Amino acid sequence: MSERYAARKVAKSQSPAKQGRPGATRTRLARWSKYVLLSAAVLAAVTPVYWMVTISLKSEVDQFASPPRWFAFTPTLAHYYDAFFTRSFAKYLTTSLTVAGLSTICAVTLGTLAAYGLARFKLRGKLDQRLSLWILSTRMFPPIVTAVPLFLMMRDLRLLNTITSLVIVYTALNLPFVVWMMRGFFRELPRELEEAAMVDGDSRLGALVRVILPLVTPGLAATAVFCLIVSWNEFLLALVLTQTDASMTLPVGIAGRVTQYEIKWGVMSAAGVVAMIPILAFAMAVQRYLVRGLSL
Amino acid sequence: MMRSLGKNRSHAATVRGRETALPYLLIAPTVAVLVALSIYPLIYAVRISLQTGSGEAARWSLANFTRLASDKFFIEALAHTFIYAVVALTFEFLLGLGLAVLLDRPLRGRSLFRSALLIPMMLPPVVVGVVWRLMLNPDFGAINGTLKGAGVNTESLTWTASPVLALASVIAVDIWQWTPFMFLVLLAGLQAIPQEPYEAAIVDGSTAWQTFRYVTLPLLKPAILIALLLRTMDLLRVFDQIFILTEGGPGFSTETVSLYIYRTAFRFSDFGYAAAMSFVLLLLTNIVSVGYIRLLQKQEAA
Amino acid sequence: MDVRFENVSKTFGKSAVVDQLNLASDDGELVVLLGPSGCGKTTTLRMLAGLEDATSGDIFIGDERVNDIPTQNRDIAMVFQNYALYPHMTIAQNIAYPLRVRKIARDEINRRVNRVAEMLEIGALLERRPRELSGGERQRVALARAIIREPRVYLMDEPLSNLDAKLRVQMRGELKRLQHDLGTTTIYVTHDQAEAMTLAHRVAVMRAGKLQQFDTPMNIYNRPANRFVAEFVGSPSMNFIEGRVDHSSYKFASDALTLDLDESHLARLSGRDRVTLGIRPEHIEVSTADHPGWLAATVYVTELMGNETFVFLRVGGEKIIARASAEFRAEFESRVFVKIQMERTDFFDSKTGLRI
Repeated sequence: MSERYAARKVAKSQSPAKQGRPGATRTRLARWSKYVLLSAAVLAAVTPVYWMVTISLKSEVDQFASPPRWFAFTPTLAHYYDAFFTRSFAKYLTTSLTVAGLSTICAVTLGTLAAYGLARFKLRGKLDQRLSLWILSTRMFPPIVTAVPLFLMMRDLRLLNTITSLVIVYTALNLPFVVWMMRGFFRELPRELEEAAMVDGDSRLGALVRVILPLVTPGLAATAVFCLIVSWNEFLLALVLTQTDASMTLPVGIAGRVTQYEIKWGVMSAAGVVAMIPILAFAMAVQRYLVRGLSL
Repeated sequence: MMRSLGKNRSHAATVRGRETALPYLLIAPTVAVLVALSIYPLIYAVRISLQTGSGEAARWSLANFTRLASDKFFIEALAHTFIYAVVALTFEFLLGLGLAVLLDRPLRGRSLFRSALLIPMMLPPVVVGVVWRLMLNPDFGAINGTLKGAGVNTESLTWTASPVLALASVIAVDIWQWTPFMFLVLLAGLQAIPQEPYEAAIVDGSTAWQTFRYVTLPLLKPAILIALLLRTMDLLRVFDQIFILTEGGPGFSTETVSLYIYRTAFRFSDFGYAAAMSFVLLLLTNIVSVGYIRLLQKQEAA
Repeated sequence: MDVRFENVSKTFGKSAVVDQLNLASDDGELVVLLGPSGCGKTTTLRMLAGLEDATSGDIFIGDERVNDIPTQNRDIAMVFQNYALYPHMTIAQNIAYPLRVRKIARDEINRRVNRVAEMLEIGALLERRPRELSGGERQRVALARAIIREPRVYLMDEPLSNLDAKLRVQMRGELKRLQHDLGTTTIYVTHDQAEAMTLAHRVAVMRAGKLQQFDTPMNIYNRPANRFVAEFVGSPSMNFIEGRVDHSSYKFASDALTLDLDESHLARLSGRDRVTLGIRPEHIEVSTADHPGWLAATVYVTELMGNETFVFLRVGGEKIIARASAEFRAEFESRVFVKIQMERTDFFDSKTGLRI
């Protein structure tokens, strides 16, 4: 009885506000302006990319039409054919795939082992923590700082214009990242899991292989995808280390064409679209880990 | 409980000795690779920066460093880098924060908005260069084409080809590409704030702005700092997009420190001077990265 | 197999987590290591498991010194506080793991998994994964994984502490029965004195790395070696009254109250002046009516437990808890009368805390 009375009293005290409903109008207005702002932002983010895609599909007449043709044009794959069959872009693409793949395998393998060592063992004199921070700090070097000596080193080793040089350099580039990502994933797992495995009669490495690695597989996959993205996108070191058709990656190939055949917009865009697609697919795959990956 | 493996050796026997060696074996390859490809190059760079001449004629000197102070191109490149960093950082932060706040609360289509907004950040920098070359071309670009269609006189709007507008243009492209990063990190920060402080603030009668100012911002501070530090480091070393959009030109108007170092080393083959300049850049980014690492350490400790 | 600790210490830097521990179990015995958090009981267990190294001293399982034998070769099984089930394996795979790493034939593994699962009534869960299980079910799986082999020793690190109260009591009984049936030496760590009392053949009470007392539950309760053990075991806790012995007048006097002593007390207390008197709450009688020789007290609060009542009292300046029947009723601040059963008192040295 008394509860119901109290409820009625509350309802009564609210009613004056309800009559005019200024609050409701304001919320609806706020929601609409939210949508308008967000749509504008999405439009700004996506339109330039869309424009490149259309250019890659347009004949030259459509490309240079004024006013610009956003939708009405006859699509053609001629530029893709031109880029990847007439010109060397297929070769660049293969190089990029090889370099990204091999360097990712190396970095993930080495980095994961190191991360396990750093996550699970207390070393004398806090060496584990110091090493972790030192490894992280090597990631902070601007690429141009190491680009100059790396170029000279690779020249001395006669490794300029080889895929090997890029694989080595990208492995080192990605290692700190792998160590820190994987160290985080390892540390999230309770230590008792390995302890239980060892009590159950397994060795430390057996526990790592049978118990711990299966549990960090999603994180490991995400880390590998991040390495692929970084290696695939990397430009400055590739520019410095590879200058021949046989050794250059897709970004370097595109950059060369941008300055040489300025007017070949279709070829440039087609190559750009091909360089972009795997990255967007990868990015979608690691959405869950994006923040973690990017803030390292 | 405290844990320690391999701390005490008074009873060290061979079986457990292996356990003690294991972590070092695991870590060693990584350390070796990083020493060879991060530390050794740095030492190499120190050496060549302290030498003038090459081969037989090489001799030790500080000439490369004294030259820095009087190189007006270098000073100008530094100035460009600072302007670039400050302006881009400001806009990226404010826009990113705004977008993050807009998407913090549940909203129909939120994950779609989020994914679409992230696209520019994921693109290879070279592709960003291509995209904006197509957009900003004075004659056939989409921007001027659209403006012309709207009756605007675009004759003076030559964007990256104009000494006046070039720097602003490359900064705008940076903002376009990297606002999503700010947005992403800040959104994650906002989402990590628990519901209770907001509820407490409402119960305590605070307005939306007061809640934002006194609850959200302080709780978001770690995320803000991380985002700012990481972006600052990247902005100070900016190279890729500018190289593709303008190569530092027209004239010298968009030349940043990284570009000037690149040009010095790989166009003029003056590696010693390039190395000397790169140490200035390293020093600048170091100041920022120390802040970042401190912050990370604090978070790890917590 | 029996377990022995001989002068075992574990130090981190300068602080000793376990200090000169000497402890020996019998074969087939269930020994409970009992103490507050940080007392070194878990470290002791982990040293026995080989998950921590002893700084000094020797640890034996049977006649074998195990200090230098790595965990996986010690032939032990352990139940962890958080169960440490392997999240990516099914329940059957979890239970089978100790056999799998020993390369036992699959038929044999299946047979034994089924037998153990039946024993612990988890046969229906075998194809599920740990995250789909309730806390109690996980607990059973962890047990099953431990008992699938016939190890020399079972180690249990607070295995029941993550269960809710009702389940804990039920599992406690089952554990006791299981250990009896298996007859394998078990070292069991807990901070819960009720668990220790109900499960153990013998309880080792630890404090700040030092063994306080190692004895049967009855002796721990009735003849605590020192004030710490007396206080730690029993709920509500034993009452302590600091005071002086007056040998001439047969009196024990604190600031607040005076109690009569008899010959046997005086014999025990000969040559002592300052002592601490200990009396368990069930050995204090409470009544609303006055009786000759009873002490007057004031009720601070009463806690009705259903089957009994805890009465928090002030006698003079002393705070005392007494155990009364469920029917006992008294208002806040009302006046009641208590009788301390002098034949049930313990005395402790006021300085060392040792039982006299």
